[in-house]
Amino acid sequence: MKPLMLHGHERSITQIKYNRDGDLLFSSAKDNHPCVWYSINGERLGTYEGHQGVVWAIDVDWETKRFMSGAGDNMLMIWDVQTGKALGKIEAKTSVRTCNFSYSGNMALYSTDSTMGNPSEIFIIDVRTVDSSFSTNDPILQIPLTNAPKATSMVWGNLDEVVISGHDNGDLAQWDLRTGKKINLVSEHAKSINDMQLSKDGGFLITASRDCTAKLFDADTLECLKTYKTERPVNSAAISPILDHVVLGGGQDAMDVTTTSTRVGKFDARFFHLVFEEEFGRVKGHFGPINSLAFHPDGKTYASGGEDGYVRLHQFDPSYFDFKFDY
Amino acid sequence: MARRKESDRAQQNNDDSDSNPNDELEEEPDFDDPEGYEDDISEQDLMGDLIRQRPKETDGVESIVVIDGVPQVGPERIEKLQNVLKKLFQKFGKITNEYYPLNPDGSTKGHVFIEYSNASEALEVLKGTNGYKFDKNHTFTVNLLTDFEKYNDILDKWENPVPQPFKEQGCLQYYLLDQDACDQFSVVYEQGDKVAVYLNTQPEPSLLEERPRWTETLVRWSPLGTYLATFHAKGIALWGGEKFQQIVRFSHPGVQFIDFSPCEKYLVSFSPLADSRATDEPQAIIIWDVLSGLKRRAFNADKSQALPIFKWSHDDKYFARMGVDMLSVYETPSFGLLDKKSIKVQGIRDFAWSPTDNTIAYWVGEEKDTPARVTLLELPSRNEVRVKNLFSVADCKMYWQKSGDYLCVKVDRYAKLRKDKSDIKYSGIYYNLEVFHMREKQIPVDSVEIKETIQAFAWEPVGTKFAVIHGEPPSTSVSFYEVKTGQTPTMVKKYERKPCNQLYWAPSGQFIVLAGLRSMSGALEFVDTQDFTVMNTGEHFMATDVEWDPTGRYVSTAVSWWGHKVDNAYWLWSFQGRILKRVALDKFCQLQWRPRPPSLLSAQQIKDIKKSLKKYSAQFEVKDRLKMTKASKELVEKRRKLMQEYEDLRKQKQEEYAEQRRRRIELRNNVDTDETEGRGGELEEETVEFFIKEETTFIDE
Repeated sequence: MKPLMLHGHERSITQIKYNRDGDLLFSSAKDNHPCVWYSINGERLGTYEGHQGVVWAIDVDWETKRFMSGAGDNMLMIWDVQTGKALGKIEAKTSVRTCNFSYSGNMALYSTDSTMGNPSEIFIIDVRTVDSSFSTNDPILQIPLTNAPKATSMVWGNLDEVVISGHDNGDLAQWDLRTGKKINLVSEHAKSINDMQLSKDGGFLITASRDCTAKLFDADTLECLKTYKTERPVNSAAISPILDHVVLGGGQDAMDVTTTSTRVGKFDARFFHLVFEEEFGRVKGHFGPINSLAFHPDGKTYASGGEDGYVRLHQFDPSYFDFKFDY
Repeated sequence: MARRKESDRAQQNNDDSDSNPNDELEEEPDFDDPEGYEDDISEQDLMGDLIRQRPKETDGVESIVVIDGVPQVGPERIEKLQNVLKKLFQKFGKITNEYYPLNPDGSTKGHVFIEYSNASEALEVLKGTNGYKFDKNHTFTVNLLTDFEKYNDILDKWENPVPQPFKEQGCLQYYLLDQDACDQFSVVYEQGDKVAVYLNTQPEPSLLEERPRWTETLVRWSPLGTYLATFHAKGIALWGGEKFQQIVRFSHPGVQFIDFSPCEKYLVSFSPLADSRATDEPQAIIIWDVLSGLKRRAFNADKSQALPIFKWSHDDKYFARMGVDMLSVYETPSFGLLDKKSIKVQGIRDFAWSPTDNTIAYWVGEEKDTPARVTLLELPSRNEVRVKNLFSVADCKMYWQKSGDYLCVKVDRYAKLRKDKSDIKYSGIYYNLEVFHMREKQIPVDSVEIKETIQAFAWEPVGTKFAVIHGEPPSTSVSFYEVKTGQTPTMVKKYERKPCNQLYWAPSGQFIVLAGLRSMSGALEFVDTQDFTVMNTGEHFMATDVEWDPTGRYVSTAVSWWGHKVDNAYWLWSFQGRILKRVALDKFCQLQWRPRPPSLLSAQQIKDIKKSLKKYSAQFEVKDRLKMTKASKELVEKRRKLMQEYEDLRKQKQEEYAEQRRRRIELRNNVDTDETEGRGGELEEETVEFFIKEETTFIDE
């Protein structure tokens, strides 16, 4: 089926996320206003106005009540999904690179970049009482990554007891929230981890790395289970909620794109079998690298956001569901 | 006597200083020995250093050479002989003395002593004239006189040299014994850090050998496929046998290019940076004996010469190089110039050996009133078997057909010529293809004219066709011509507007790959030239190389790191253009098929095989199918195992997930979100209205 092209951003897309029901799709870009869309027809519901810099990361809680965005203007903002009003904001020392609601929606984490002498830091905050005085709230936990590679991607671990961080040098670290200590560290990737996403039940974790691979990890033990190889940096990877499939998106670095033909770039979304690590399909469309990918919670649609500023909603054809590997 | 002389001289010196009229100085005391004084210090102690310099009888003996093998002549011709020899040996230095031992009857004894002014000149003579062919029956053997002494001093007790233990090389041709006649290929990747050799089995090539840092730059197979040559800063190593063990090593610092002779007997190595000034011995080009590993001869290189500098005849008997206005042909195994002199060819521009005969084709450019000409020269007789004059020639290129049946000379001709000081400008360029029929009497020449620029030319290796790419890119055309006895070549097929820039014939002819490499983004077309059907088209984006396997069953295309920095990979295709395998390797550099020696079967045997091909092909197909099913069975087996492992893990995870259900619900304020995700009954239906379109209808009153 013809994909829906959502053209509401003026600059490259940084992240896209479905809410838990899958009726809404949130997107952020290097322009200052995150958007929310109806996923069914691609109509834009509205934007969240208030940031003054590149919006790097977004998240929505499980009830679709609160929406959170972290940006290059050193701000983390929490919004009311329905009205688009800012509920509270926190000013960080450097730009906010990642933000995630916990499973319960009571807590959130965000991480900051290491610039201007400030180290990259991970913060855990309580978001139950959000009001204008919110910014003065002290975080529950603050983990400075002094003299360590900066955190580039984060997810919550099982039952909100741990958080997992992916780093600039390809390391994966697990932190215990009660003690604030690092409890596990694995170095499977050779280069920066661009994105991490959990499987539907939270048991598995897929990482996307600049080293041209995506890897599947056991989310509890951080044991590397599978590796999906491509020829280009992988910017995002997602696990299908219904089938044993993963989708990888990426492509040639944005800075090199203009100097070569689009065919060199390899901006396809690539589908691999989760277990066999074999590629079985590609979807063309973007004319720049794919920066973010997300499966619809029902597994029948997926969305991709690219450096070209478009979000594309692809509905799978019946042949996708008919295709089976022999084993 | 010497002592006397010396003391006399000392006396004299003293006298001199005494007699020097110098009034201002005080009179010196008398140092003279008193009369009858006996010196108790020996002269050796007193002035040993001077005595050591005293001339000996044997001084200068090292500047004498002895020449054997000189013709024995009677007294009446001695003078003539002396003159001839003098002329020859004067070249090396100043002759101070010469001696012709004579028989009692006054005839010469057949050897001559010549003394030079110093020892280094004598060494030069040794180098220059030892083995010199004076005439048909006389070859000089030159020795230093001191050598005789050396050989006299050899100890009487002779120790037998310990024989080197015989090194078992194994069967170097083992790769030809492969049951299914699969071919090997070498792959260099990771920027040259790793080299692997694969056997091209179907459906998966199997790895035979992989070594890190096997070479420093690239590898080369020898022309018959026996050896694999690796390049190192210090020289070249050859590997072979089943385990790819080292066979021989050639030490040549800074070597960059090598060239095997067609029968693999010799190896030419070229080190462009080798400084020949440091020693007298040339360093740049060395010819080695492959079997023994010994250096045969070394040459200096001219800076500007195109590679290969030396071109070999098909049977390793001769090799030739081009110089200014001459062609130097050397013969093996003596490595001397053929007939001791180069062939004078005024204005020679290029030459090429026939791939099957000892015939050289060369061409000379236009010179004032003499036209350009192409000459076929037979060796060693130096017969000009065919000369073809050509007019208004800007440039020529010679293409031998691999079977040596035809030679095609591509002639770039001009309509107008303008001389601009030193620059020569041609205009109205058009092209002629001059085809020489080598196997016919008198070697007739036919000519085809092509108006457009010729981009590429290629003979069918076996057969009578050739292919030409002509026109300006991107709207180039490909034409095929058939050569027939006594007729001008006829065009048999023309493909208009085929974007390609390279032609690759299968080694056994008939099939050809038209490729648009590099700038033409790697378009490939597989053509059967028997009926000119395009069997398949394909594309390997940005491909830099195309290579046929030696049997013509497979084609490899490659994007080499040397030519293109991303997506380095090699792909294998069947000859019909079906893609078989895509292999992406990091910084992949080069793929080379291991060559095979020519078939030992006679023409009749090959014919018989072709006749009964149907019978064989049925057998092979069964075998192939078996292999494929086995491979797919293996794959399925592997997948099943992977799936099993994963399912176990997932089961465990699901159990944990189920256990944690209560805590999850607690976390989300007692809302069970595990179940509602499937949009179950608990979810309330919500109607959302979308604005789809607006229609305005005007209603008339």
